[in-house]
Amino acid sequence: MEEQEIISKVRKCVATALGRDEDEVQLDSVLSTDLEAESIDYLDITFQLEREFGISIQKDELFPQKIFQDEALVKDGVVTEQGLAYLKEKLPYADLEKFSADPKVTAVPELFTVQLLVSFVQTKVAA
Amino acid sequence: MRYVLVDRFLEMEAGERARSVKCVTRGEPFLNDLPFYPPALVLEALLQTGGALSRAGSEAGQMSVLGKVSSASFPAHAYPGDRIDIEVTIALSRPEGTLCEGVATVDGREVGRAEFMIVLLPPEMTPPPDPERDAKRRLLARALGLPHAPKENA
Repeated sequence: MEEQEIISKVRKCVATALGRDEDEVQLDSVLSTDLEAESIDYLDITFQLEREFGISIQKDELFPQKIFQDEALVKDGVVTEQGLAYLKEKLPYADLEKFSADPKVTAVPELFTVQLLVSFVQTKVAA
Repeated sequence: MRYVLVDRFLEMEAGERARSVKCVTRGEPFLNDLPFYPPALVLEALLQTGGALSRAGSEAGQMSVLGKVSSASFPAHAYPGDRIDIEVTIALSRPEGTLCEGVATVDGREVGRAEFMIVLLPPEMTPPPDPERDAKRRLLARALGLPHAPKENA
């Protein structure tokens, strides 16, 4: 599948899940801050991607929840070295270089951009 | 569930589809101010059917809650004396929940259609057993014809 086709379909999925116009959904849009995605919307986005691309996404594969729940990964609101390693493993497409400079756990949702979804889908459909 | 808006389940294929019925009567308080059955309650019947269907395909004891209604339409009304036939299918299923598609008809005429998400709460978020509450749920499930009524010690 061509990259442009994937981008177009991902934008459509996000727009559908969040009740937005596709024009509002840009590659650099952050799901939480720019598009005001709430927790339930991440499940909806997962459903939309599975349906649109015919892929199967395992629990925590795209939106890993463990980072918010495991005390070894976060200490005093800051993602630990172990936590950063976990994020790198789970989200190889995320911009972790910038995040690592000030790895507050509250900033984790900002890693999830439309571009991250596109990269994730590209990997899945190529597998 | 305070308001049960499904009268009986006719079919329950866990993880796949469910069929139920709701018979509209003039005596219902919802019809005091309206000549037709409120579309929001047609939607609720679809959601309750989808919730039971989602629970039937989940781990024992998991609770279901409505995540969101993605779309809903009500092209016609249901009236007292009508039997609303409800059919819900699970389009996609995950451990966290289901994406359901439901349609409600009266004599083949569509009175409601919706796509919605049911979230399945993880076991740690499920309330502890309550004998009185659980006994009421078993009675209700049997009355509705649900084949997956909670077990005595579930």
